[in-house]
Amino acid sequence: MANHKETFEGCVIEIKDDVNLTINGKEINYEHDRTNNKWSSRYLPYTKYNSLLELARAIVRDTVEFSHANE
Amino acid sequence: MAIRKDANTLTAAERAEFVAAVRELKAEGIYDQFVLRHANAIMNAIHRAPAFLPWHRRFIFDLELELQRVSGNPNLGIPYWNWPSGGANASMWNDDLLGGDGDAGGVVRTGPFRAGEWTVINASGLPAGPLMRAFGQSGLPALSTQADIDQIMAVIPYDVSPWNTSSNPSFRNQLEGWIGPDLHNRGHVWVGGSMLPMTSPNDPVFYMNHCMVDKIWHDWQVRFPNQGYLPASGGPFGQNLNDPMDSTPSGQVGSRPIDVLDSVALGIQYDDAIVQPPPLPPPVIVVGAAPTPADIGAPGETDIFQFEVSAFGPHTMFTTGPSDTFMTLFGPNDPTAEVASNDDGGENFNAQINRNLSAGTYQLRVRLFSPNTTGNYAIGVRSDGGPVPTIPELVVDGGSIDASISAANESDLYRFQITAQDTYTIQTTGTTDTFLSLHGPNNQTPEMASNDDGGISSNAQLRLELGPGEYFARVRHFSPLGIGSYSIRVTRG
Repeated sequence: MANHKETFEGCVIEIKDDVNLTINGKEINYEHDRTNNKWSSRYLPYTKYNSLLELARAIVRDTVEFSHANE
Repeated sequence: MAIRKDANTLTAAERAEFVAAVRELKAEGIYDQFVLRHANAIMNAIHRAPAFLPWHRRFIFDLELELQRVSGNPNLGIPYWNWPSGGANASMWNDDLLGGDGDAGGVVRTGPFRAGEWTVINASGLPAGPLMRAFGQSGLPALSTQADIDQIMAVIPYDVSPWNTSSNPSFRNQLEGWIGPDLHNRGHVWVGGSMLPMTSPNDPVFYMNHCMVDKIWHDWQVRFPNQGYLPASGGPFGQNLNDPMDSTPSGQVGSRPIDVLDSVALGIQYDDAIVQPPPLPPPVIVVGAAPTPADIGAPGETDIFQFEVSAFGPHTMFTTGPSDTFMTLFGPNDPTAEVASNDDGGENFNAQINRNLSAGTYQLRVRLFSPNTTGNYAIGVRSDGGPVPTIPELVVDGGSIDASISAANESDLYRFQITAQDTYTIQTTGTTDTFLSLHGPNNQTPEMASNDDGGISSNAQLRLELGPGEYFARVRHFSPLGIGSYSIRVTRG
């Protein structure tokens, strides 16, 4: 089991034991399609990602809950 | 009647009307309620599952009613995003409709939904910044082509177990985008930005994307009228034909898939900007001819054939060959009325149906027993010889004939002779809910009149003026599955 922690676009992504994902301390539920080895989340319902970290970065980048776009 | 048009064909006035209506709904707070309805639905209840299409049909239908209300135009329809001609340079992205791509940071700064004019909300309903777009930068650089659409338009059935992103063959799963060319998901991902999360209705192009999805489903329904919504039952709760769908309030129409299957009944009319190939007439099988070669070239495919029965009599419908076929018979003269089906009634694993058939047009639908295999076969229909049974004759003012509908979809045919013009009554009696049609004169085919409950109780009765000639009365149960005994007679007056 591996742990990973990084700051991506101002958000702290943490993956514990390869499976427990948090962003800025918030637990993120996700689905793992074991047949195709893809990850997805209700945050981004139209895409499956190749890794949990890739999913986490996409959530940070593309959801209004975590992105920080300014007018 | 909502008239839905290709977004790129809207006139300046139509664009202005649509934009004004959307902005009015935003000002009223109604627009954001729709964002939240989608954002807070259970993801796997409205996506990645059979209800994906009916849920979104109902969703955009409801918004359309609101657009009609605020615009005062009962014909206002959500425009559809015709992907093959809807790329970044298409007019739908002009400043008078949707505005264009985001800037280097993804912020939309053109059009009526630009930063400062339009604020998106998060799943809690709180303001969350400007609308974001990043055309082609989220992993899918190109939009769907017409060839992609044509490919998916040929897929049947509607959906299949396990009713998720693995379902195959599945029209729903392909249209949604989890297998095959990817149509719906591609629209979201190509736009990027605010179209990526569950709050994607923040971008008005969401509705145009789903209007295109809905149009393709509608076109597919027209093309395959016998391919119904699946699962009818037995699937996960919320996905079956009569289950209430998640996050779907009561409204002008019901909240079940069955409530939204018919676009026309919902008052939706699409323009003809996308020309779909018309449904081909089924190949005709000649009764008594050598079996017609055919094959199931794609898993899940169903072949449809048509044949004519000229006169009542015993017939055998059969397949031959190495495939494990499953055959269903429909008719007469109604391709939705199922008469019988069979799996292995013939040689080896071939299907065979033996029935007495009335005169009329019938359809045979053949698939392989396994939805995952392909194979060839041949199909034929033969009349099983012997003298053609005599059609029972009713004598005017004579006695009744006692009979019964003994099998689903059975119909009984009678003849009677009229020698003098006058008013005549044809009626059934008994406890069976009969349906009566009158044909003639001197021909079994033209229908002159029909009746369900014009007689006593649930009996049928026709009273009309007839001239000299031979007439034919056909009796069936009102319910396609119903059986029961009855009596029939013809009287003068």
